[in-house]
Amino acid sequence: MKLVVNGTSIDVEVPAETPLLWVLREEVGLTGTKFGCGRALCGACTVHVDGAPRRSCVTAVGDVAERPVTTIEGLASAPALHPVQEAWIAENVPQCGYCQSGQIMTAVALLRAKPAPTDTEIDDAMSANLCRCGTYPRIRRAIHRAARSLRGEHE
Amino acid sequence: MIEVSRRGFLSSTLVGGGALSLAVTVGCGSSSPTRVRHAEASGELVANMYITVMPDGRIALAVNKAEIGQGITTGFATLVAEELGVPIDHIDVHFADSHPEYRTSFGMHQTGGSTSTHEAFGSLRHAAAAAREMLVLAAAANWRVPVAELAVADGRVRHAASKREASFGELTRHAARAPVPDHPRLKPPSEFTTIGKVNRRIDARAKVDGTAQFGIDVTIPNLVHAVVIHGPVYGARARKVMADAARTRAGVIDIFAFRWGVAVVAEKYWQALAAANDVEVEWSQGQAAGLDSEKLRLAMRATTADGTTTRDDGHAPRVLGEARTKLEAIYEAPYLAHAPMEPQNCTVKVDGRKAEVWAPCQSPTVVQAFVANAIGGDSDQVIVHTTLSGGGFGRRVVADFATQAALIAKQVGRPVKLIWSRESDMTQASYRPQSMVRMQGGLSAEGQLAAMSAHCISQSITLSSGAILNAALPGPRALRGVVVDSLLAMFSTNSMGDLFATEGIKDTPYQIPNLRVDFTPVRTKLPVATWRSVGHSVNGFAVESFIDELAHAAGQDPLGFRHKLVAPGSRQRRVLDALAAQSKWGEPAPKGIGRGLARHQSFETEVGEVADVEIVDGRIKVRRVYCVVDCGIAVNPNIVRAQMEGAIIFGLSAALDQEITVAGGVVQQRNFDAFPPLRMFEAPEIVVQILDSDQPPTGVGEPGLPPIAAAVANAIFALTGTRLRRLPLQHAWDQRGEK
Repeated sequence: MKLVVNGTSIDVEVPAETPLLWVLREEVGLTGTKFGCGRALCGACTVHVDGAPRRSCVTAVGDVAERPVTTIEGLASAPALHPVQEAWIAENVPQCGYCQSGQIMTAVALLRAKPAPTDTEIDDAMSANLCRCGTYPRIRRAIHRAARSLRGEHE
Repeated sequence: MIEVSRRGFLSSTLVGGGALSLAVTVGCGSSSPTRVRHAEASGELVANMYITVMPDGRIALAVNKAEIGQGITTGFATLVAEELGVPIDHIDVHFADSHPEYRTSFGMHQTGGSTSTHEAFGSLRHAAAAAREMLVLAAAANWRVPVAELAVADGRVRHAASKREASFGELTRHAARAPVPDHPRLKPPSEFTTIGKVNRRIDARAKVDGTAQFGIDVTIPNLVHAVVIHGPVYGARARKVMADAARTRAGVIDIFAFRWGVAVVAEKYWQALAAANDVEVEWSQGQAAGLDSEKLRLAMRATTADGTTTRDDGHAPRVLGEARTKLEAIYEAPYLAHAPMEPQNCTVKVDGRKAEVWAPCQSPTVVQAFVANAIGGDSDQVIVHTTLSGGGFGRRVVADFATQAALIAKQVGRPVKLIWSRESDMTQASYRPQSMVRMQGGLSAEGQLAAMSAHCISQSITLSSGAILNAALPGPRALRGVVVDSLLAMFSTNSMGDLFATEGIKDTPYQIPNLRVDFTPVRTKLPVATWRSVGHSVNGFAVESFIDELAHAAGQDPLGFRHKLVAPGSRQRRVLDALAAQSKWGEPAPKGIGRGLARHQSFETEVGEVADVEIVDGRIKVRRVYCVVDCGIAVNPNIVRAQMEGAIIFGLSAALDQEITVAGGVVQQRNFDAFPPLRMFEAPEIVVQILDSDQPPTGVGEPGLPPIAAAVANAIFALTGTRLRRLPLQHAWDQRGEK
């Protein structure tokens, strides 16, 4: 089966029903996408498929064959960072950091759809991504900051 | 504070060729020189067990604590940068591998009790200052100038008069010949340029670009992967395993029952996961069979017998009997899981009676002991590499996951990475114990709190921690067993109370002339353990709710009532005063909002919180939380604020919604849908103020939590007149009026 991950074509030999999460982590070697619940309840495994956020822990890899998949590693070309990642650093968002790949992927998709989100729109987009460290207030600030940056407004 | 003796800390010997080797012998009973490096050969100056100065001037810092989100790597780097005289970004942090030297916390290499910064503020700054002085002595000798004429900054030593300077990297070989100073000069707080000034995290970049390596990300050659199917009741064993189809699946290596359940091992984790779905198991009853948390709650409420007294000032029972106004109230708290975002996992390579372990763990010492026990070896033959942890909250002090991984690795003869499912993480937790506190208080005719008593009833965490105690003690295993058994016997008869059950009440800073605190243990077969702020998490709720009730009974303002109960000039008063100003306490709350206040001291840190709460369509909504903290010197103020925010949100999840219930021995909550953490749309605005201090740092990771449940309950009372005394509060609100 052919996967297109972060712009690169990769052949993987796994059953079609295998969760995308584990194919990314074990077959493609991209471990930035995390396992949290296995049931699409926490958002730690969020990636983009066709540019839209998907919970990779419940996504069968067969469903995304030959469709563009983006993971946290593919948001920008190192050492560059995506403006959302830069905002995360500027607001000191991460504590343990485990959920943040998923948070960032969800936030990037939000800002693509809504370049100037309100607090309510942020709540609506982000409330399915859990963080046990309690970084929500900083995530909210970082999304507003990234939105300004993406719109070309300088701090 | 744990002081490390100077000569125990650093000793040096000249060896052949004039190179310096440093034998580091800090810690508990170890005297083996294990860290011998020759600066002349490699150019690396191993100044002490924490700090190595590399020839390129970068600093390798060994951190003997777990990074569970609390920012300890940044904090330790800050302390070193300050005293060594380098920019913080010259420091490369790594986690120290298990070694007796690093057992700096009560004989253990462990992270807990919000002690790390407090501990390191003395020892780590000393280590950095000693290294700096060695580098300065080297420059002084090279240049034949007095030490007093040299200045250190930005990782360089400078002699202004002769305009000479050298980087630390250029000085390592000569510094290795310098004596290790016994009494290096530490900066007074007035000279700090890094401590209290750095506000970013050194690990932020790796945690936003996907490169941070957690335990679950570890990979080593020849690794296989395992799932453990745990029984429905804690401690259940597999009687019969039906796995014929699963065994034929691609990649499956072995499927076998062991005392923790059924292990499913495959080349890849996804193969093990798929195979596990095909395994059917018949289970034995399990040690926790028969446990029912609701029946246990009723039994606890029916307990009237006195317990073991852990504080007894004056004559509380008599004064309570004579009081003009007497209040009695029962506060209840459920079992709680830690539910860190990274499920428990562990990678183990077993080689006979030796093992190497990679784990997101809070206690390498406990991991060593558990793995050694699993493979029939000794602790010092087990090397533990600590990885980043995706949250900890006290869960990763227990190392049952490491035992299981080691047993599986031994069975299959290859290195194994075990990853628990979320369901295993939640049903196999070592829980915050279900608890009850019966409070009594007596007011004098003048409305003074004349007497108070608290009777805490819960399962003893100390008693549940026998294996951990065993790991902590040095000496032969047989002897340790005897010592631990006799210690546990004393806790078992409750002749010593419990280490955690009455904390936060027995040591209350409230000045109450007649105060009595008792503890009665409950026994169940479900394991319990430390959960962020431990006994304080329950007792902060009980005491601060009850003080609020007493204030209202006395017809006094809750803040003013507390103000009179704490000593003039105390940090409690400072925090209350700052909280009153910050929250504009005393001004009417906005319409529809109730305001509640609570304060609590834990881990040597005082925190006061005011919660603004409303109830919308039957749902308790916390709009805003004001928080004032006195934690001594804030090494990184931004991280202190983050920890307050995090503890408040973690505490609100538990205060509002979370509980673990048990029916027929089966834990009823298996994933985040049934054990809901607070989500973004429910997170309040949080305003944190850190009080200025020149005192050494105290705890930060946990102390933000204990006041929040009471602050919310007190706000609900202010708003509605309904007093909620049982956690979680949303359930109590939904069931108000019912028995």
